[in-house]
Order: sequence, then structure tokens, then C-alpha cells
Amino acid sequence: MPRVSLPLKVRMGSVDRRSFLTRIAAVTAATAGSTFVSGTALGASESFVRNAELLPAWKKTPCRLCGVGCGLLVGVENGRAGAVRGDPDSPVSSGLACAKGYHSVQALYGRDRITRALIRRNGALAEARIGDALDVVAKRLRETIAAHGKDSIALYGSAQWSITDAYIASKLFKGGIGTNNIESSSRLYGAAAMSGLESTFGLDGSIGCYEDVDQADVFILWDINLAETDPVLFSRMLDRRRRDRAVRIVDVGTRTTRSSYAADRALLHAPQSALFLANAIAHEIIEQKVVNRKFVERHVAFKRGKTNIGHGLTSDALVADDPRSADWKEYEEFLSAYSAERAQQVCGLAADDIRWLASLYGSPASKVMTVWGAETNQHSRGTWMNNLLYNIHLLVGKIGAPGNSALCITGQPSGGCSLHDAGSLTHTLPAGVVSSDGDRQRAAGIWGVPAATINSRSSRAVLPMFRALERGEIRLLWIQATNPMTSLPNLDRFRRAALKNDTFLVVSEAYPTSTTDVADVVLPAAMWLEREGVYGSVERRAHYFDQIVAPPGDAMGDGWQMIEVARRMGFTRLFPWDRDTHVERSWEEYRRFHGTARSALPAIAELRARPGVIWPFVKGRETKWRYNTAHDPAADQTRGAFDFYGHADHRAWIWLRPHEAPAESRSSEYPLLLTVGAVLEHTGAGAMTQRIPILHESVPKSYVEVHRDDAARLGIRNRDVVRLVSPRGSIEIEARIDYRSRPQRGQLFVPSFDEGHPVRKLMIDAFCPLSGQPDTAACPVRLERATRGKRP
Amino acid sequence: MTPGSGNGAGLAARVFLIAAAAISVAALIVAFGQMAEKGKLQRESVSTASPAQAEDPIAAEANVFRTSAATLAIDPESGRNRSAHPRTLVTYRALRAFPGAPPRIPHGLTPEEFRSGGCNTCHERGGFSQRFGAYVPITPHPEMGACLQCHVGDGDLMAISLPSTDPSSRCRQCHAQGGARRVARTVDWIPLKWPQLAGIKAGSDPQPIPHTLEFRTNCLSCHVAPSAVAEIRTTHPERQNCRQCHLSRDRESGEFVRPTPGSGPVRKASL
Repeated sequence: MPRVSLPLKVRMGSVDRRSFLTRIAAVTAATAGSTFVSGTALGASESFVRNAELLPAWKKTPCRLCGVGCGLLVGVENGRAGAVRGDPDSPVSSGLACAKGYHSVQALYGRDRITRALIRRNGALAEARIGDALDVVAKRLRETIAAHGKDSIALYGSAQWSITDAYIASKLFKGGIGTNNIESSSRLYGAAAMSGLESTFGLDGSIGCYEDVDQADVFILWDINLAETDPVLFSRMLDRRRRDRAVRIVDVGTRTTRSSYAADRALLHAPQSALFLANAIAHEIIEQKVVNRKFVERHVAFKRGKTNIGHGLTSDALVADDPRSADWKEYEEFLSAYSAERAQQVCGLAADDIRWLASLYGSPASKVMTVWGAETNQHSRGTWMNNLLYNIHLLVGKIGAPGNSALCITGQPSGGCSLHDAGSLTHTLPAGVVSSDGDRQRAAGIWGVPAATINSRSSRAVLPMFRALERGEIRLLWIQATNPMTSLPNLDRFRRAALKNDTFLVVSEAYPTSTTDVADVVLPAAMWLEREGVYGSVERRAHYFDQIVAPPGDAMGDGWQMIEVARRMGFTRLFPWDRDTHVERSWEEYRRFHGTARSALPAIAELRARPGVIWPFVKGRETKWRYNTAHDPAADQTRGAFDFYGHADHRAWIWLRPHEAPAESRSSEYPLLLTVGAVLEHTGAGAMTQRIPILHESVPKSYVEVHRDDAARLGIRNRDVVRLVSPRGSIEIEARIDYRSRPQRGQLFVPSFDEGHPVRKLMIDAFCPLSGQPDTAACPVRLERATRGKRP
Repeated sequence: MTPGSGNGAGLAARVFLIAAAAISVAALIVAFGQMAEKGKLQRESVSTASPAQAEDPIAAEANVFRTSAATLAIDPESGRNRSAHPRTLVTYRALRAFPGAPPRIPHGLTPEEFRSGGCNTCHERGGFSQRFGAYVPITPHPEMGACLQCHVGDGDLMAISLPSTDPSSRCRQCHAQGGARRVARTVDWIPLKWPQLAGIKAGSDPQPIPHTLEFRTNCLSCHVAPSAVAEIRTTHPERQNCRQCHLSRDRESGEFVRPTPGSGPVRKASL
């Protein structure tokens, strides 16, 4: 008889959760035992429930395929997810989804799904019993710690994690084992967003919310192809414009994209010139005398930070900024180098267009919303760039009020602030940082561990973590729900590090990836819908997701895998929860870190009952606009319309951040600038979306888009295979001319989803020294013709 | 010398003068254009960044957004449930030799219409035609002016004089004797099969685009009621970014196959 692993209980929607009959049905099915495999057993209980009281079986869940957090209803039949529709009650998406969302549930049923544990034997991964694999992981962790110290092991988690997974990881590694060697792939997407918010406002977490989209008059898309990266949010923007013809969408970017065509105006600037452009807009706002003086005097302080901070190439350490006070006059002087005329030369955008942008921001009658995303963050000055965009909004006093909004959008369900906040980055604790005595003591108190267990020094951000793996300082790395062997820059370097004989790699995954290829142990992971959890989202909305189908084979959620291993390592006392309740119990424990109105989280019951909840959640009310005294219960009413309480001086900081050159610029040897990004059909490194037939058929593989003039000059025709060469290596890839988007002359674009074309291996492992965010959006390359494409 | 020939010489001289004037104006325009171009280049060469220039849009990406309900002369909302002499897939296919073929012109043209090719007067924005007693199909590519290059008329129908208030002649605009006209089968040729409309699963699975996109990148023009073919009308004309949910397919995609593992540095031998 095959080994059968059944989850102890099938979670139902909140209505039937209380149903005694349901429980009886599930138990009956589970104890029938002899003939079923896990799927059919669940089918029985599901259909019983459906027939009894829930026709049809549409189960509510947030979408997991980007950071927007659309509400979906999943149609369940015979224990399998078989259809999707948009949830009309979702305040995020109002019944709409995108191609990814509508087809998302097929990602559960790929034919090569990993359902059993795998252990490498004689060079090849072989199926093993889940208990044995968990034993091996725990034993290896114990042995490695004993031989090389507790900082010789590390965990690399994911922006696809449930917030509770991140919390469990933080508790196990920081509170149990006592190492700060934890990172998550959210460092690749949102670290600069976090440090931008922290340096400007003193606290992580976006200022406004999606409702701003319904109220703004002018939208500035800043280096983001929103129509493809966050389609439903973009549609909400188009709907806003349809209802009010005066609304304007302006696309400011380096490529002509679908968003450009939908926009009322599209302005192209040179890649790697955004720092200059943002300062120039601020300069012109002052020139046009449209500064909101009252707001600035009452609520803003000016700061200088460190400059020439490098690109993380020569040092692994992050740079701690040193804010020094400046004043209005110094700010004006600083900006004098950024006139519209000079910006025209650097940015390739007409001076009049820069003035026009400034006038859009400055127009007293209009509400302005700026959105930006990964292209801005994935830059060695990502933190600065976030600061500069907030500067513009602070100058005109258009922030933190309905429709006046500056929103950084990151691409993964928990890529936003929520995940960092649970303690999943090396320097963070739940709602705190390891360097703070108070935060460590609070964590030790809630966890019931000696305060000395928690290391007060953070270790390394993601790239330095992999460099430490290369040096042999990290011997065992556990990777969950992310594919660094496709997504890291300078990939071959880190792939060699992963393959060294003295490194031991544990990978928790649902599908074979280029990371499981190099693993020593693979643990089968339960996916969204197959487990319970909580996702974050861009607008601080936490979404509960229920388990609505059974995980296949031995698959289990990432958090539960960690608890299983923790118990085998002797940390049972830290996790006195069972598989059925660990999400609820860990969330309720995590909530204890959020005792104040500045970050209060909803109880799990609230989360289950509502279509997501925007935190801070105080006395049953969401805080939609932070720091706004009319909306934020943590804000001090006596300070006027706003109280930027994140900083001790209760002010938001305008930073004097200069334009500095990136780690690498175009040269005669590498004359083209490769930029990377997303297409609508795929997410992350494509492990889920490439297995969904309709998404795969729409964009079956990655390609490089070339401007037609460059193509003509280099003798390249549409669909020729070309070679992209950088100092780190080369990839061969099909060239496309005027396919989805059009790069500028001298620029290339490659969608980054395809592990068959790991474009990030061409990139240098530079990072933003303030945030640790890798610089993975652009890189100079050379383009060579490889083979002629098939002619039709 | 006859008066006629004298007039002829005068005419020739006038034609010559007019031609000369026209050529010099044209030369001036070209010269100015070149100067302007030069100035532009000089301005650009100052810039260290590559300058943004107006370029032709990528049709497949841009045209989705070109038409909205507000730019059409019909009200798609009110027309959702109305059928004013609706086109159907049967009549739609009868006018097309194969899937994707440019449709024949199923109605008469006045001699003036035939010469001017002023089809856009009716077919750009649609609306109700008194002449045909029906809603006018909307072209997805009004920017292409030479309509008769691809859309051929029908010799019989061309002869019908217009306009006519006679109801029976109105019918004959589209229906020749004996119903919808079909092209005679003089070639032994089997066209490709028409794409089948898959049944829509309950609330799920937005249909992929079953046709190629050449010259048909503006979805609303063909899929919005009341002028659209009844079976392919969208239920949600207010949505604007059609390709957010409806994807086209790459015929060469095949099934997803993982790249061969282990390309690059090779894995250590054993645990």
C-alpha cells in the first residue's frame, strides 16, 4: 500500500468551519483509509459539504501571483481547484483578475510536481520518506552548528512566504538557534522600498492605499510598466480615467510599453538617469513657485546623507547612513545643479517636458499619485531613488491624503512591508531590529528565550550571504519557495558556490527548478490553496488564505516544515502548536509584537471574516492613510493635518541625494544597456506560470527586444538568435523587434521570468549599500549574432 | 492656326508655369525639412542620452487602447441586449473565404463612393445606418485608407443605385436573389477550419484570442454590440485593457519543457 500522508483536517470556509457534520464527514473519509489516496479522500468530504450546504463551492482566497492582492473565488470540485472567478466583494479588485489570476490554480497541477522528499545519493536526487528527509536536515543542522558554529548555517526564504512562515523562521533562527543568518527574496524586490520609507518617514509600510487610485487626478507611472506588472491595479486606473475624462495618466519610463500606449502621454528618459530627473523635477517645482510652503515648514526636515557609498562590490557590509541636518537654502543650492536644461542633456527628456511634469505635481487643484516598482528599487541607489520620489510629493504637500499618494509596488504577495516586519531579513525582528536592546528583550520575552540568545549584530544581506557561502563561512543553506539559481545576479559565481563539496543545500519547493538541481535535500512544499497562511500586499492589506484542497503526497507548508525540523533539533518548546493550528497560533503570537496603534494587526478571526484588512487595525478600523491625523489613530491631532511620527522630530525628511553613476555604464566594449523586467503572463522565475499552458503558450520563452535601428545596424532580423555578452558570461536568446515593447536606441529589454534564459547571470553582484537590494534591473552588454531565425 | 491650337499652346504654357511653381515650392519644403532635420540632429548631438522621438506605435500593443466606447457612434451599454438586424457568425463567415480573409463588400457603392473610397464615413465609428436598416460594422484599422485594395466589391451589387427608400431594394443591398450570396466553387480548395468558440466555464477561463492579430488589434471594433457579430460580442465593453485577460497564442510554443538541469558548473558527486 502506498504511503499516504493526509493533512489532519481539511479547512473549510468560515461558514462550514463550525459545521459539526463537516468534521464528521472529513473524519469518516479519513478513517475509511484503505483505498484512497489523499486527493480522493478530500474529494469525498468536499462534495459532502457542497451538497449539504455550500452550492456551489466557491472558496475565497487572495491571488498569489503578484503583490496587488486581488480577491479570487476558486471553484472546487472533487477536491480539486477547477475554476477561478474574481471576487466581487474584494475591495482590491472588485471582481476582476488578470490572465495570471484566472489561470492561477492550474499551477498546482503541473505534471512534474514534487510530491515526495528527495535526497541526493550517488550524485542524483532520489525519492525518500519525508520523515527521513526531515531527520537528515535536522541532523545536518545540528552537526554543522557543532562543527562550525551557529553562524555557519543560513536560511533564504521568499517573498512568496506566508507572513506566518517568516515569523516562524525568525523565531527558530533568531530566537532558537541564535543566528541572524536569515534573508528572504523580498530583499530582491522591496528592500530599497523599505529603506526608502524608513529614511524618509522613519517607518516601513506604505503611506497610502489603492483607494488613492480612485481619487487621484494625475497618475505618474515612474519606470514601471504597470499594465503588465500589476494589471488589475492598472485597470483600476483606467476605470478612474473612464469615469472622469480630465484624469491624466503619464508614463515616464525608459521603454515604450503597453502602459505607454494606454497613457495620455509617454515620456522617455535615458536608462540610469532617474536620480537626475527626479531632482530636476524638484528643482522646477521650486522654480515655478508651487512649493506648498505651509506643509514644508510644518512637516518637513531636510537631511544630507553619506555620498559616494560605493556599490557593495568591495564590501559585504551595509552602509549605515549618517543623517545631518540641512535647511531650505542648502536644499535649493543642492538642486541648482539639476536645472531642466541640464537634465535634458543627461536624461534625454526635453526641458519643457520636465517643467510640465513639475507643473503637474505643483498644480494646486489636482491630486497626484506616483507609482513605481522593481525597476526603481533594483538599483545600487535604490534607497535614494525612493527618497527622491517622496521628496517631490513632500515639496508640494501631496502625500498621505486620499488621491495624493506615492506608492512603491513590489511584485510578490509578501514582497511588501509585511514580510520584513515579521523578522525575515537579517537585521529585523518581528516589528523591530536586532540592534535594539528593547526589541530584543521584547522578542525574548514573547518567545520565552534568554535575551542573550538573540544576536545583536545583523549578519549579511542576500548577496553577501551567497558570497559567504562561496568563502565557506556558510556551510548549510536552507532555501524555501524561491529560485536564487535563476534570480541572483552574477549567477555562475553563486552557482559554483552552491556546488562546492563543503556546502549543503536544502531546498523546499513545489517544482524542479535550477535551485533544486543543485540541492542535497529537496522537501516537497505545499502551495497556496493547499495550506493556510497570511499574505501581505502593497497597500498594507493582510490577506488570510484558507486551505481548500489537499497538498499532494508528502507536501507541507514551509512554516510547518520548519517546525518539524525545529522539533527534531530540540526546539519543541518554541512551537507548541499542531499542524492544524500553527498558522492561527503563530499569527496570534506575532500580533503581540504589534501592541500600539502604529502597527496594530487584526486578529485571525477578523482576517478570516474580511477580504483582507489594512493595518494598522485599531478598534475595528483600518488605517488607510498613515500620518494623516484625520485617518491615523496613532497621529497626534495637535500637530496639524499630519504627524510624521516615524521620526523623533515628527517630520518627514527631504533628502539631498545626488545623481551618482551606477556600478557599470556603457562602454565601447559593452555598448548596449540591457534592462530586465516582467511580462504580464509570468511571475518571478516562472516556476508556476510557465507550467500553466495558456500562459506558456502566450509567452513560451524569454527574448531580447532590440530597437529596430540597432537591429539594422547589427544586421539582426526578427527572431534571429543572438548572444548577449557581459564580463560575467553570455546567453543565447531570440531577438524580437517591436514585439511587446520598444527599448530606446542603445537599450535592450529581456523579460526575466525564464530559467531557460537566466539573464541575471550577466549582471554584476552590486547592491544598494543602504538597503542591500541587488542591482538587477540593468547591465551593459554586447550583442552578437548567433544564428539566423526561422523564416516563415 | 486654329483658335483651338492657340488655346492649346496657352494651356501648355500655363501648365508649365504651374508645374514649375509647384516644383520650386516642393524644393523649398524639402530644403526647409532638411534644415529642420539638421537642427534637430544638432540638438540631439548635445544630448548624452539617446533622444526620444516620435515613432510608429507597435500596433498590437497600442491599438487595444485606441477605441473606447466613448469614441464610437454607438452605445455598447444600451446595445447589449438589442438585436437590430444582427450579424451572425453565419453571415460573417459567408463574406470571408477563410478565417482571417478580408471580407467582401456586401453592399452597393455609389459611383462616388466607389471612387473616393470614403468607407470610413460609416465604418470608422459605426452607428445605425438608415440606408441599410442596420448597425454598421466598425473597421479595426481605419488608418488604412485604400480599402478597396483588399476588400473587393461585388459586381452585381455595385449596380444597385443608391440611396433608395424601397424596402425591397434595401434587402438586396446584402442579399442577392436566393439569400446570402456565396462565391462560386470554381476552385478545388478547402479553407482552414474556423476557430471554434469554446464553451465558457462557469465564471472562469477568459477565452484566449482565437485569431491572428494582423490588422485586428483593436478589439472593441469587432466585439462590441450592437454592430458586432452576435456570438462574439463582449459582455463587458467597459473594460479597456482587453489583453489583461485575453491572451494570444504562440503557435510554435509546444509544451513547457524545463531546461536541461546541470547546464553550467557540474554537481558534486554524492552526499
